[in-house]
Amino acid sequence: MELKQLCELQGISGREELVRAAIYDHCKNALGDENVMIDSMGNVIAHKAGRDKSAPHVMLSAHMDEVGLMVISATDDGHLRVRAVGGIDSRVLVSKRVKVGYAIPAKDDKPEVKPLNGVIGAMAIHLQTAEDRKTVLPISQLFVDIGAKDKDEALSKAPAGTPITFDTALTPFGQDKILARALDDRVGCYNMLRLLDADVKGDTDFVFTCQEEVGCRGAIGATYRLMPDIGIALEGTTANDTGDMPDAQKVCTVGSGVAISFMDNASIANPELFASMMKLAKDEGITHQVKMSVSGGNEGGVIQRTGSGVKTCVLSVPCRYIHSPSTVCSANDIEAQYQLTKAFLEK
Amino acid sequence: MDIFKYLEGMAVQHGPSGAEGEVSQWLKPQFEALCDEVTIDALYNVVAVKKATRKTSDGSPAPRVMIAAHQDEIALMVSDILPDGTLRMGQVGGVDPRILPAATVTVHAKPDGKEPQKLLGVIGSTPPHLLSAADRQSNYTREALFVDLGLPVGEVKALVSIGDSITLQGPATKLLNDRVASKTMDDRACIGCLLDAAERLQKMSHICDIYFVATSQEEVGSKGAMTAAYAINPDLAVALDVGHAIIPQSRPDTCLPLDAPALTYGPFIQHKLLDNMKNVAKNHAIKINTEFAASSTYTDADNIIIARTGIPTVLISLPLKYMHTTVETLDTKVLSECGRLLAHFIVDLEEGWDKELWN
Repeated sequence: MELKQLCELQGISGREELVRAAIYDHCKNALGDENVMIDSMGNVIAHKAGRDKSAPHVMLSAHMDEVGLMVISATDDGHLRVRAVGGIDSRVLVSKRVKVGYAIPAKDDKPEVKPLNGVIGAMAIHLQTAEDRKTVLPISQLFVDIGAKDKDEALSKAPAGTPITFDTALTPFGQDKILARALDDRVGCYNMLRLLDADVKGDTDFVFTCQEEVGCRGAIGATYRLMPDIGIALEGTTANDTGDMPDAQKVCTVGSGVAISFMDNASIANPELFASMMKLAKDEGITHQVKMSVSGGNEGGVIQRTGSGVKTCVLSVPCRYIHSPSTVCSANDIEAQYQLTKAFLEK
Repeated sequence: MDIFKYLEGMAVQHGPSGAEGEVSQWLKPQFEALCDEVTIDALYNVVAVKKATRKTSDGSPAPRVMIAAHQDEIALMVSDILPDGTLRMGQVGGVDPRILPAATVTVHAKPDGKEPQKLLGVIGSTPPHLLSAADRQSNYTREALFVDLGLPVGEVKALVSIGDSITLQGPATKLLNDRVASKTMDDRACIGCLLDAAERLQKMSHICDIYFVATSQEEVGSKGAMTAAYAINPDLAVALDVGHAIIPQSRPDTCLPLDAPALTYGPFIQHKLLDNMKNVAKNHAIKINTEFAASSTYTDADNIIIARTGIPTVLISLPLKYMHTTVETLDTKVLSECGRLLAHFIVDLEEGWDKELWN
């Protein structure tokens, strides 16, 4: 499946159904129905037997969900009140376009469903007081405008609970780069789908998780079910490498290869696993970098602490402006994440 | 007139104040299809003349009516190229820095000896994972933001120069109830009203010579309107601009309902001409609201009024939500009503229209 196709599917945390359906079908085609399941949290787990039964059992994870918004109510004059699902800095929302509801293709006797266009506006600069200019608009003061005339119309078109995603089409950008929403973590999903045909050494489970952005909820049960020897999370991680950012605050660099984490806010990588990843990348000539700053958290943390514990390491594609409508990553880094993970699974 | 098609087109034209060349060339043929003569002057004002189609009954010369809306847009410009190839921004007109984080922009690169290029850019923002509590409590300033082109610094320096224009992106987006959101509704939506009126006038007759003007440099002080009014020397003028529509954060009395054009009253506005316009609205069942401007209207009207010996002028406001953002939202039915109001105002203008002006 192409990255563009994966990024076009909408799927905020807890509402990953479109991404899940596409990934589930793809996995079944690749590995056979009997090797693919959807678990009780909504994760897709695809199993592939290894050629060496004595080799460690590996679990790969990438999350299907993305950050977004959800309708909670509407004002009397028809503006939707919303809340963030996942970590969103409300300052990136002003003057942006969103899709309200999901684009669902026609299936069987059900007609196609189209999302509504929405915009997030704010008071014009002409009308702002000096105080307004300083004040950050919290999400409770930002409204999604779908053009509804009143509360009844707004809530009949977009009832409470309606998921909302950023409206950014995947676009080639600059040199070898991609601009899109939801690159975190459709890049990981994309690479895991590509890895389904790897010649894996040990038994391997490919876990497409849900609810990562709201506390890595999906990975907990999946890891508990599988209890692998090794867990590798394929992530999109923050880069923070542009402008006049001091070097000390940079996390990793877009275009400099897959980022291997020794530590983040959720877990410390197993040192042997980290060292073997570094060596493997070097031996195979795969562009790589160490994620420099200890920041962010991901499924590495919950996988590591599940049951009696799992050795983990996180391999990330650096993303600029992550969790915003305009995320940027490098096609070369996506390829490097794929190559390193493939080499690890096959050796 | 296919209003959405026009809005879709205008939203992808770029014309920062002072650099309206591209948008003026896009507007010219549209006026040519409906008017007798169209010129672009030294300041990029597009002046479209539609001659009188009916003689005055007393043989007096055709009154000259100027109808103005501005084509320029608020924008940014490259003020510095940083060592990593990202760009610092200056501003052209009043850009609210709150709209910038994570916005996509077009950088209009004019490399030496090469064809101009339009480069896609993203305005960066710090990811939430790295923000401190203090960071979250203050808005970004433009000075703290930069444009990322995704290119190595060498390539950026080969293409981009300090002073190149940067325009914001915001395609026309359909909402419910015939509402549309887009960049540069301010004020190209009002140029749509001019085109809508010109189209209606194809089937109507009028005693006046009409000068439709898509003005330049409004966002930096209505400079195009000043020179256009001097050149045209009209007998009367109508300016059209967008007005702030009610949104959830609006303060009382400062904003207009979205669902009808508004007419401004106040000391700058010729009150008899305003009465005239109100009567036209009444006679043709066009719903209008009114708004008050204690002095400056902050539109082209202000400079047209004091051109040459002074020009009686009225101002029509097209209500717009979220002005000076990339999601400026209006009701296209109201745009069409503004066109209808303008057309009837022109057609109903009879000989002796100015007799009672100062009584």
